[in-house]
Amino acid sequence: MDQATRDKLSELVEELTTSGEPQLDQDKMKEVKKICKVSNDYIDHFYHLIMTQLNQEHAEIRLSAFQMVNELFSRSHHFRTLLITNLQEFLELTVETDVEQPLPPPKEVSRKLRTLAIQTVQSWHAAYGEAYKKLSLGYHFLKQIKKVDFHDVEARTLGERQRQEEKQKRLERIYKEKLERAKQEMEEMTAGIEETLTEMNNCIKLLVTDDLNLFSEEPSTFPSSSGSEDTSEQPCCSKDLSHEQSKEITQEKSEKEEKDECSDDSDMEEVPEENVFLRSTGLMSHKYQLELSVATDLNMRETEENEALVNTVRDLQRLITTRHLPLVQSWIQVFTKVGVEEELMRRATELKKSLENTLRKQEHLHIDYKNRERRVMRAPEEGEEEDDDFEEVPEKEGYEAHIPEHLRVEYGLDDVSSTSSSVAKPKSSQSAVRNSSPVESITLSRLKRKMRDEEEDPTCAAATMRVLRQKHPLAPPRSVSGGSAEPAAGSSDQGDRNKEEAPIVPFGVDLYYWGEEQPTAGKIIKQTSQHQFWVPHEVEEEVDNKELSEQMKSRYITFAGTFKPVEHKCRTPLANGSLCERQDRVKCPFHGCIIPRDELGRPINPEDALRLEKERRKREEEQPDWRDPELMREIEAATGEDLGSSKTFGKGKKGNKGKSKKKYPNLTDLKQSVNTSRSRLEKKVFNKSSMRRVTEVMNKMDKRKHEKFANQFNYALN
Amino acid sequence: MLSFLNARQSGLDDPVRLRRAESTRRVLSLELNYDRDVDRIHANGINTLDIEIVEGRYMLSGGSDGVIVVYDLENSSRKPHYTCKALCTVGRSSRYVHKFSVETVQWYPHDTGMFISSSFDKTMKVWDTETLKPAEEFQFDGNVYCHHMSTIARKHSLVAVGTKDPKVQLCDLKSGSRIQILQGHRGEILSVRWSPRYEHILATASTDSRVRVWDVRRASGSLFTLDQHNGDKSKASSEAVNTAHNGRANGLCFTEDGLYLLTTGTDDRMRLWNSATGENTLVNYGKVVNESRKGLKFAVSRGCSPEFVFVPCGSSVAVYGLHSGEQITMLRGHYNNVDCCEFHSDYQELYSGGKDCNILAWVPVLRQPDIEDEGTNSTKGGTQAAVNPAFEDAWSSDED
Repeated sequence: MDQATRDKLSELVEELTTSGEPQLDQDKMKEVKKICKVSNDYIDHFYHLIMTQLNQEHAEIRLSAFQMVNELFSRSHHFRTLLITNLQEFLELTVETDVEQPLPPPKEVSRKLRTLAIQTVQSWHAAYGEAYKKLSLGYHFLKQIKKVDFHDVEARTLGERQRQEEKQKRLERIYKEKLERAKQEMEEMTAGIEETLTEMNNCIKLLVTDDLNLFSEEPSTFPSSSGSEDTSEQPCCSKDLSHEQSKEITQEKSEKEEKDECSDDSDMEEVPEENVFLRSTGLMSHKYQLELSVATDLNMRETEENEALVNTVRDLQRLITTRHLPLVQSWIQVFTKVGVEEELMRRATELKKSLENTLRKQEHLHIDYKNRERRVMRAPEEGEEEDDDFEEVPEKEGYEAHIPEHLRVEYGLDDVSSTSSSVAKPKSSQSAVRNSSPVESITLSRLKRKMRDEEEDPTCAAATMRVLRQKHPLAPPRSVSGGSAEPAAGSSDQGDRNKEEAPIVPFGVDLYYWGEEQPTAGKIIKQTSQHQFWVPHEVEEEVDNKELSEQMKSRYITFAGTFKPVEHKCRTPLANGSLCERQDRVKCPFHGCIIPRDELGRPINPEDALRLEKERRKREEEQPDWRDPELMREIEAATGEDLGSSKTFGKGKKGNKGKSKKKYPNLTDLKQSVNTSRSRLEKKVFNKSSMRRVTEVMNKMDKRKHEKFANQFNYALN
Repeated sequence: MLSFLNARQSGLDDPVRLRRAESTRRVLSLELNYDRDVDRIHANGINTLDIEIVEGRYMLSGGSDGVIVVYDLENSSRKPHYTCKALCTVGRSSRYVHKFSVETVQWYPHDTGMFISSSFDKTMKVWDTETLKPAEEFQFDGNVYCHHMSTIARKHSLVAVGTKDPKVQLCDLKSGSRIQILQGHRGEILSVRWSPRYEHILATASTDSRVRVWDVRRASGSLFTLDQHNGDKSKASSEAVNTAHNGRANGLCFTEDGLYLLTTGTDDRMRLWNSATGENTLVNYGKVVNESRKGLKFAVSRGCSPEFVFVPCGSSVAVYGLHSGEQITMLRGHYNNVDCCEFHSDYQELYSGGKDCNILAWVPVLRQPDIEDEGTNSTKGGTQAAVNPAFEDAWSSDED
């Protein structure tokens, strides 16, 4: 046997089996056959190669190998004997005779392989079954024990059929359960639903007749008249009115007409002659046409009288739509799916129909519901009395854009006293605020409300301020709102300008006494003793304290300067090719001190570049410990994203990995389909180290418990 | 062959010698033969086979569905192709059929008019072959794994029964009662065998991994227990002392002369013991895959000069040299686990039954030099085309 040819054969077999194509490459196959024809040794070798390929856990490889087997099987006796001695394994690998060893994924290919294998075995049996006993045994085995139906197009094996049957059974069981449940529910609920229906119908009837009774003076005659309409004895052509219409009449006008007729009827019935008719009615002829325009749909208005009814109707309607109807529908769905006896189905559909009918009827009523939200909200019994006590005030929500002048004080918006404990605003700006954008004003109003609340609270500083303000109604406000050294008497123009320029400063005692001598500045007043007998002999009642007086008069003002927005960007080149867009003033949190860079992100100054290079090298040397190479590689493998583990670690491994990955690019990647979020999570959660970690923690917790309850025997024991 | 014939003619050789040489040759050429079929009656796996030794003509088979079938093995049609016909069947429709799997069947050694079967339905039945009705029925407390009747016994007609109970029971066919109990095992009895040499000697194998040899005349206990380490205490851990195997001991078979005893265990080992002393002969058969939870029925050839053992091994039957321990061949043909095999010493044929419901006949390939030649040398296929067109190679010319 020539080594070179042998190697060539191995190569060809591998190429052919890993092509991933559904059909074999004819040229290569021809070459294989040419080699095999030369000697049985090659066939032996070929057989072993094929068996190893058939053992691969990949349906595409197996399919291709099987096709090659088929090619050689019909040609070489030697190959046939080889294969047939090991037919069990061959069938296991291609026809899935062993339930424990299912065919590998991808599924479509494996199904195809099985179909093809079964067909092929059949044809082999037809051609060679006579000569090879084991082949025919295998065929019978498949046919009788594994119950492979050779005419079945699907070519399902026993195992598959079993699985399908099980599935079917499970489904049936579920359906049965559902059916039972639905039946039971139906038993329980039907009475309730029927009750609801009758209630609803009664309510509707009551509502409608109630309406009619309101307007007709002789309630008893109306039904009789409408009932006798069909006799065509009536003078007017009320026969045109359909039965339903007459029932549904609501409009006042038509009602009145009807009423007239009714009263006529009652007089008229026993006097058929024309004269009498004329006399009694004043109508000249029988042939008057009286047209009644009756709106088919009613318009019901909720009134005090029918409130209870309408409420009930409403509740019932809600009950039906949200509960009964979906329930009945689900029953019907279940029944149709499972297929039950007629009786049950009919009952369910009837229920549904009547429910829908009732709903439709209710809809026709067009009940004009009062806005009832508030009524519902309040308690039904005690509400009345409580209402007396508390005047109902429309609720106020949030900011009110315009506040009437007289309410201003109440709102704490005293236009003169815009003082606040913290912020003093110029008057003009405040008036502007009042009409400004809602967002701002909402916050403002909230602030104001808060302020008002504070003022009402006697313990609060704001309240004191208010009292003070009332005491000195004139002087302080000006000085406060002014906020500048300019006295209030200045010309209004100048004042405005000044106000614009004036800084806003926090209020203090110095402002309170602005432009005045502070009478008590820096003085410590000691109370003279109120004691009658015992008096200290020398009492200095007032002590002047320099420091204190300075403090009272002085004011700290910080000049923070103005805010200048940052113009420059970090511009460090990023991994994705763009430049860093961060606009930090001095130092970028990711890339360090910001240095001038050109448009490509390179540092302009050479010394900067040098420094950066040095830093980078240093960083690479000492990887932070969270970047555990193992973990990184795991994550990369799981997510398929490059996190840079191969860049920094394990250069040798990288090449290896890449090679194995792209070994057979034509085959369907089995792992790809497995790469779901679930599997990735599983890999994380169930990986050994994390499991160990979890058990460790749990053990620790257990142990802690044990230590804690060590002297209680039932804890100490387990 | 010719030299043997010549020597026999001139009286140089013992007559046995030629016979042995020829039967050995035949055993070595056992193959799945297309000419021999066995009717497929069983719809479930076949647990047990037995060929009667009176005529060597009838074979019993017991299936895991409780069905028992009697086959006629003799080919009287004068044609090479023969299908062993099922003569009679105790089928599912029969009133007396075993409810559960039949574990062991055995012909009455002296007559084909009777056979005994035992089953997982806790009964052992003695059948009349003519009427196919049980003549006697023994009830037990647990599943019956095996039973055996001595083939040489003249002084007793005892059937040893191994059940789920650790006690071995001896049933006397004469009185129809259980007359004796052998106590000593601690697990289920998976296999029992009478010695073909001494009629009172019985070997039993149990799940407690021990194999005991009893003399049924002795009431006190077993004669000895087979020890895989031959009493070398240092090799055995304390609980493994006096054990024949490290797993369950589930197969027993005496050689024809009764001098040796073969045992198999779920430790995938087969051991050959001197049945007189209980000494382990330490023949290494290598790994004999054995995952059976029940008893394993295997066979030893009879009348060959080196004897052979046929052991079911997965889906094939392994053939070992009895004393060499060398695996000679694997007989592959079943598509599922093989449960039992039975050797027919008159024709050197082997019958095997497995879970794939097939009974396969392994028949020596007759001397047909042209076929053998064809089988080994298929490149010259064209010349043997007359033999069987299916053995022909069919290379198309365009592949050159």
